[in-house]
Amino acid sequence: MATTTSTDPEAPAFDLALTESQALVQRTARDFATEKLLPIAHDIDEHGTVPPAILKELASLGFMGVYVPEELGGAGADVVSYILASEEINRACASTGVIMQSHNSLACDPILHFGTKAQQERWLRPLACGDTLGCFALTEPASGSDAAGLQMTAKRDGSGWRLSGTKNFITNGVSADVVVAFAQSEPGSRHKGITAFIVDKPSTGLSVGRVEQKLGIKGSDTAQLVFDGVRVEDDQRLGQVGDGFKIALAALDGGRIGIAAQAVGIGRACLEDALAYAKERQAFGKPIAELQAIQWMLADMATEVDAARLMTWRAATLKDRGERFTAEAAMAKLFASDVAMKAARSCVQIFGGYGYLKDFPAERHYRDAKITEIYEGTSEIMKLIIAEDMLE
Amino acid sequence: MRLLICIKQVPDSTTRVKVAPDGTSIVTDGITWSISPYDEYAIELALEQKDNAADTVVSVISVGGPRTKDALRQALAMGCDDATLVTGEGADTLGPLGIANALKSAIDELKPDLVLCGKQASDDDQGFVGPALAEALGWPHVAVVTKVAPSAAGTEIWKEVEGGHEVWKASGAAVLTVQKSEKEPRYPSLPGIMKAKKKEIPERPVTGVEDPVTIEIVKLEPPPARGGGKIFKDGDVKAHAAALATLLRDEAKVL
Repeated sequence: MATTTSTDPEAPAFDLALTESQALVQRTARDFATEKLLPIAHDIDEHGTVPPAILKELASLGFMGVYVPEELGGAGADVVSYILASEEINRACASTGVIMQSHNSLACDPILHFGTKAQQERWLRPLACGDTLGCFALTEPASGSDAAGLQMTAKRDGSGWRLSGTKNFITNGVSADVVVAFAQSEPGSRHKGITAFIVDKPSTGLSVGRVEQKLGIKGSDTAQLVFDGVRVEDDQRLGQVGDGFKIALAALDGGRIGIAAQAVGIGRACLEDALAYAKERQAFGKPIAELQAIQWMLADMATEVDAARLMTWRAATLKDRGERFTAEAAMAKLFASDVAMKAARSCVQIFGGYGYLKDFPAERHYRDAKITEIYEGTSEIMKLIIAEDMLE
Repeated sequence: MRLLICIKQVPDSTTRVKVAPDGTSIVTDGITWSISPYDEYAIELALEQKDNAADTVVSVISVGGPRTKDALRQALAMGCDDATLVTGEGADTLGPLGIANALKSAIDELKPDLVLCGKQASDDDQGFVGPALAEALGWPHVAVVTKVAPSAAGTEIWKEVEGGHEVWKASGAAVLTVQKSEKEPRYPSLPGIMKAKKKEIPERPVTGVEDPVTIEIVKLEPPPARGGGKIFKDGDVKAHAAALATLLRDEAKVL
C-alpha cells in the first residue's frame, strides 16, 4: 500500500483518482469495447460500416448522451466520464468512436448549451437517447480551417429561412437524422454574420452528395451535404442571428477534448497490441520484448500516451467546472494526436513485416491515427489557438 | 416478489494473481476487484424477473470490508433496487460458515422470497456459502440453476443436468445457486450508474456472528510454469505425423 507523505493538513487536493461513478462508466465502456467492439473492429474497417446493433447498444447504455442531463433524456454523467468512455471505445474501434463523439460533442452539445427549452425537447431528447443520430455541418469545399469564410447562405423567407450551399466532410453525413448547420445570414460580414440552424434530415432540398472514401476511420460515413433552398422555420435557428460562429467554436472546443481522448485510445491500442506482440515474437532466441531497441519504443509509447491522457483529463475537468478550457483542449488535442501518430509508427515497426499486413491491427491504427491531426482543427490551427490564448 | 442476491467481490478474471510472501494469501495491491462472474449471472437472472414483472424487488447483499461497496454499487448500476453491506471488524477474514451465518441473520430480517447466489466464487471455487446458507436458513437448495419463472404454485426452476435440464418447483422460499447461462449479464448503463450513485448502501454489523473454523489455508502456490511446446518444422509430413503420435502416446499419455 502507498503511504501518505504530506504532513500539511491544509495541502490542496490534487487528486487524479476517479470517482466511484467515473470508474464504473470507464468499466462499462471497457467491457463493452473489449467484448463487443474489439472482435469486429477489423470487419468494421473492412466493410466500412458499424453494425446498427452496436449503435443501438451504445444508445441503450447511455453513450449517445453522456453528459446531457437526465431530465433531457441523457445519462447525466460528466465530461470526464465522457472522455473515459471515449478512450475505451476508441481503443477498440476508432470508427465507432468518431460516430459517438461527433454525435455527443458536435450535435448534442450545441443544442444543450444554446438551444431553447422547446428545441431541447424536440431535438436533444431523441438525440440523447440515441433514437436519432446527429451531425455537425460547418466545413465547406472552400472553407475548412478558415471557417468564417463559409459560403452557405441563410436568406429570410417570410417567417423562416432558406438555406443554400454545400457542406463537406460531414461525419455521420449519410446516417444522421439531425444536422446542426452553419450559414452566412449577412453576406460579407464573415464570422459576425454566421447563424446556426437545426435541420431535420430528410428535409426538402437537402441531399447527400459525394460519400468520401477515406484512409482510416472507414466504418464511419463522411459525406457532402447539399442544401438546395432548404426551408427552415425560425424556431430551427440555434442561438441568435449572428451567433453561429461562437456556437461552432464552443462546440469545437469541447469536441477537441473528445478527439484528444480518441487519440489517447488509438495510442493505447498501439501500445497494448505492440506489447503483446513483442512478448510473443521470437528473434535471436528470445522474445523481441527483451531487446532494448523494442523496450525503448514501448517505454516512449507508454510515457507519451500517459502524458496525453493526463492533459485530456485536465481539459475535461476544466469543462466540467465551467472554466475556460480553449487552450487546454487545443494543447491536449495537439499533443495527443501527435502521440497517436508516433505510437502507430512504432507499433507498425514493432510488428515488422506483419505490421504492414491487414491480418494484424497495427496498420489500421496507423491509418486511423492520422485523422486526429486533422479534424476538428488541424495541428497547425491548434498551435494558432494556443498562441492566441497566450498573446490575448 | 422479493429476490435477494448474495454477491462476493473477487479479483477480476484478468488479474495476474501473485502469492504473497506469507505463502497463504495473495498480493492484493493493484488488483482490480469485480463481482464474481457466477454472481453476475445470478443478478442477471433476478433482473430478468424484474424486466417481466415490474413489482419484483431485487436486492443485493455482501459481506466484507469498505471496498466491497464498489461491488454493491456495480450491482445497483446494473439495475438492482437496493444493497446492503454486512461489515465491521473481521468482515474481511470471515470463514465460509461465518459468512453464511452473517447472511442468515440479515436474511431473517430482509425476508426475501428467493435467495440467489453464484454456484461458486471465481477466486476460491469452493461453492460453500450457498448450500451452507440454505442449511442455516433451513430452506431447500437447488444447484446449477439457469432459469427461473414464476408459476401458479410458486417458482419453476431450471436446473442443469447432463445433456439437458430438469424443471423443479419451489412452493416457498428457497436458495438457488446459479450457473452460467446463455444470457450474458447486462452492462451497468450510464443512467444506471448515475442512479446508483444517489443510493445509500446501509451497513449491518458483522459483530457477534458465529464463525466456526472449517478451513485453514496451509499453503498457496502458483501452478508450475508451462513448458515450451514442440514444433515440427519443415521436412516429411508423414514422419512428423508418426513422431507426433508417438509423443502423444508415450510422453503426453493421451492416446
